[in-house]
Amino acid sequence: MVGMSIGEELLEERRRRRRAGDPRITPEGRAILARLVDGDLVGEFQAALDAVSAADPLLGGGGDDDDIAG
Amino acid sequence: MIVIDEYLAVRVVFARWPAGLPDEELALPSSRHWRLLQALHNPRGGQLSQILAPLSEPDRSALRWPHPEVLQILDPRPLLDKAAQVAAGYGGTGWLVAESLAAGLAYGRELYFGTEQNVGHLLARAAGELGIAVHVAT
Repeated sequence: MVGMSIGEELLEERRRRRRAGDPRITPEGRAILARLVDGDLVGEFQAALDAVSAADPLLGGGGDDDDIAG
Repeated sequence: MIVIDEYLAVRVVFARWPAGLPDEELALPSSRHWRLLQALHNPRGGQLSQILAPLSEPDRSALRWPHPEVLQILDPRPLLDKAAQVAAGYGGTGWLVAESLAAGLAYGRELYFGTEQNVGHLLARAAGELGIAVHVAT
């Protein structure tokens, strides 16, 4: 088995930290955020994002809803 | 560097890395961070307000000031000129679409979204014409 170089080890460590997420997130926060982007609140979350764009023509451009979305 | 949307930003912050997302450094355009922050600070709708209210200060901090090893917020200044050019070319898109497209052009001609709903018709059409691949990673 070939060992990793120092550069490879550093890259692997950065990769590991990136995929580990933010250490400040609590288990309770993780559960809430999961509902927001993957669970029952996805519709409300998307509506909230769209509402921010719709309320600001500089941001959203003043197009129809589909255009504002993204 | 991979440019992502608000959904993927939230997912990687709480360590749910989508299977279809390349294992590279991630960046969120400033306009999309703005929308996320607005939803966090001023959640419209009763249920969303109630759900977000119990988020602890450390949880909020992770979204307000993402750890750069997890998620970077793109500096909008180098993207301004290209974004203005794109906006002019498409009849005055808003900053959200223009910055996202400019970021896509600057970073590998790719954009990653966490849901199809968040792409939008105008961005999808413009991305196709500008040679930017739009991916949905769930």
